[in-house]
Amino acid sequence: MKIKIFFITFLLISNLCFAMNDVVDQNQIHKNLRCLVCQGQSISDSNSDFAQTIKLVVKDLIAQGKSEDEIYSFMAEKYGEWIVYKPQLNSQNLILWIFPYITLIVGGYVIFYLVRKKTKKV
Amino acid sequence: MLSNLGNIILFSSVFLSLTLIFFSFKEINSTGEIISKKIYKISLIQSTLILFCFFTLISAFIISDFSLIAVYQNSHSAKPLFYKISGTWGNHEGSLMLWVIILTVFSFLFLIINKSHPKNYRLYTLIFQNILILGFLFFILFNSNPFSAVKPLPAEGLGLNPILQDPALAIHPPLLYLGFVGSSIYFSAAMASLITNYSNKFFALSIKNWVLISWSFQTFGILVGSIWAYYELGWGGFWFWDPVENASLLPWFAMTALFHSLLVLEKRNLLYFWVIILCLITFILSVMGTFLVRSGILNSVHTFASDPSRGLYILFFLSILIFSSIFLIFKKYKKNDYSINSNSKETFVLINNWFMMFYLLTVLIGTLYPIFTDALSNNKISVGPPFYNAVIFPIVILFLFFMAIGPKTKWIKNNFNNLKSFIVILFFSIVINLLITFFFKSYTILSNLIIISSLFLIISSLLDLKQILIRGKFDLARVISHLSFGFLIFFIGLNHNFSIEKDFNIKVGETKSFEDYQIELKNLEIKDHQNYKAIIGNLSINDLVNGEIKTLKPEIRIYDKPKTLTYEAAIKTNFLKDIYITMSNIDRSEFYNIKFQKKPLMIWIWISVICLAFGGFLRTFQNAKNS
Repeated sequence: MKIKIFFITFLLISNLCFAMNDVVDQNQIHKNLRCLVCQGQSISDSNSDFAQTIKLVVKDLIAQGKSEDEIYSFMAEKYGEWIVYKPQLNSQNLILWIFPYITLIVGGYVIFYLVRKKTKKV
Repeated sequence: MLSNLGNIILFSSVFLSLTLIFFSFKEINSTGEIISKKIYKISLIQSTLILFCFFTLISAFIISDFSLIAVYQNSHSAKPLFYKISGTWGNHEGSLMLWVIILTVFSFLFLIINKSHPKNYRLYTLIFQNILILGFLFFILFNSNPFSAVKPLPAEGLGLNPILQDPALAIHPPLLYLGFVGSSIYFSAAMASLITNYSNKFFALSIKNWVLISWSFQTFGILVGSIWAYYELGWGGFWFWDPVENASLLPWFAMTALFHSLLVLEKRNLLYFWVIILCLITFILSVMGTFLVRSGILNSVHTFASDPSRGLYILFFLSILIFSSIFLIFKKYKKNDYSINSNSKETFVLINNWFMMFYLLTVLIGTLYPIFTDALSNNKISVGPPFYNAVIFPIVILFLFFMAIGPKTKWIKNNFNNLKSFIVILFFSIVINLLITFFFKSYTILSNLIIISSLFLIISSLLDLKQILIRGKFDLARVISHLSFGFLIFFIGLNHNFSIEKDFNIKVGETKSFEDYQIELKNLEIKDHQNYKAIIGNLSINDLVNGEIKTLKPEIRIYDKPKTLTYEAAIKTNFLKDIYITMSNIDRSEFYNIKFQKKPLMIWIWISVICLAFGGFLRTFQNAKNS
C-alpha cells in the first residue's frame, strides 16, 4: 500500500514537473482586455480602430519585456479599471477576491459542525 | 382587432387568477379532503386562455399586424416566416407572455398530477402560483403590453435584430424559460409547505420531478445559448462569464444543489429547511436574472432588451418575493435534530451543496460587484473570465474527486472498503494524463490537475456503468450525468489547452502560412438575400500535416432593417476538431482581417452537455414509472 502511494506521488510530481510555465501569450492578453468602444467584446474579438491600437500597444509592451500583470496594470492606469477583465487586487476589490474563499471556509465549517455533533453522541 | 382580442384575454386571465385565489381560500376553510371540480375547471380554462392569447400574438406576427407594438418594434414584412414566429418570444413583451404561459400551465399540471397530497398544501401552492401569475400579468398590462395599439398604423415594422434571426435563438428562450420559470412551481410549493407544515418526505416526492425537469431544460437552454454564442458572436468561445450567462447559471447551481438535497429529505427525512431555502432561492435567482437582463443595469451582449422602467417593476416584485420568503422561513423555523454520520452519503450530498453554494456565491458576487463599486465609488470595474477561472477552477479539482467518490457511499453509515480501487483509478488517471502531455503538448500545473481529476471521475463512473451492465444495480441516470460531467470538464480542459488561434490581415489572392497551415483568400462573392446582402470570402485552408485542403466561406452580412453589420463565422466540424474562421473588413483598405482558430474536440463538449441533461430526463422518467 505504502509503496503504491509513494509510486503515485512520484508519478504525479514527475507529471507536474513537465508542466509548462505560463509564457506571455499575446492572444490571452487581448482576451482579458475589454474593447472600450464596443458592446461586451474583448480586444481580441473586435476589429475597431481602438482594438487595433491596443493590440499594437500590447505588442510593444511585450517587446519591452513586461509581464502579463504589468501590462494589465499599465492598461488600468491609462484607461481605467473598466478595461481589464481581471479586477486588480486592491483595497476596493479585496472583498470580491476574498468573499468566495470565506464562503468556502464557512460552508466547510457548517458541514463539519453538523457532522461532528453526531459523532460525539455515538 | 388582434390588439383588442389580446387585451380582453389578458384582462380575463387576471379575473380568472383572482377567482382561483378566492375559491381556493374558500376551500381551505371547508371540510372534506378533495378539491372541487370547479377549481380544476377554472385552472384548465386559465391555461387554455393564456395559450390562446399567445397564439393570438403569434398570428399577429405571422400576418405582420403592425398595429401591435410588439410586432411593430420587432418584425418586418420581409422577414422569413420562421423568424416572424420566433420573433414572438425574441423580445421583451413576447417573452413575458412565455413566462405567464409556463407559470399557468405548470400550476395546472401540478394541481392535477399531485392528487395524492394533502388538499391544503395543493391549494396553497395554487394560491402562491396565482399570485406570481398576477404579478406578471400586471407587469404585462401596465408596463410591457405586447398588444398595445400603435397609432397611426405604421406601414412597416422596425425589424428584428439580425443576430437573433437564428434557429438556435428561436428555441433558446423557451428551453431556458421551462427551466427557470419552471422553478416557480417549487417556490410556490415550498411556501405552501411552510404554511401547512407539510414537511416530510412526501413533500420531497411532490416536487422532485419538477426540480429534475426544470434542471434538465435549464441545462439544455444554457447549452443552446452557448452554441449560438459560439457560431454567431464570432469569437470562437462558448462561455464568456458574461453577466447574462451568469444569470442563467446561478439558478442552475441552486437546482443542482436542490435535487441532491432532496434525496436526503426523501430517504432520511433530514435537511427540510435547507431544501426549502434552496427552493426559494432558485426562483428568486431566476427573477433576479431577469431583472439584471431587462433593466440594462449590466453591460452585456444581451443589452438589447433593456429599459430602466421594467427594471424598477421587477426589482419591486423581487423584493416582495425575498421579504415574504424570509418572513415565512423565520416564522416557521424549527430547530431540527441533525444526525448525520461523518462517513455517509448524507455527508457527501452536503459536500455537493457546499461546492454548489461556493460556485453560486462566487458567480453572484462577481456579477454584482461592478454594480456596487460603480454606485459607491463611481469606479467602474469589469469582472470577467480571468476572475472566475482563477477562483473556480482550482476548486473544481476537489469537487470532481468528491463527485466520483460520493455516489459509491452508503446511506446512514458507510465504510470505505474500496479504498484500494480509488488508488488504482487515480493511478490510471495520472498515467493517461502523462501520456497526453508526452505525446501532444504540455500544459500548466492547474490544467494537469483538472485533467487528472476529470479522468478520475470518468474512470470511476465507467466502472459503475460496467457494474450496471453486469449486475443491473446502481442508478443509470446518475451514472450518465456524472460521467458526462467528467467528460465535459475533460474536453473543456483539452480544448482550452490545444486550441490554436491566429489573427492576420489578408487581401484577395494572397496566401499566409503559419504552424501547420496555409491559408489563401481566393476571391469574394456578393450575394443578395431576402433580408440582407452578404460578402462571402472564399478561403482555402491547406492542412500541411495531412495534406487536406478545405474551403471555408465566412460572411460579412449587411442587414437593412434595422441597419447592422454582422460577421458570420465559417465552421468545419468533425469529431476531432473544429476549424473556425471569421472575416471582417478593415475600413479604408483592401485588406480583410481573418481570424483562424483550431478548436479541438468542440463537438464533444456539446455532446457531454446533452448527455448531462439526458440523465435528468431519464431520472424523471424512471421516477414517473415507479410511482
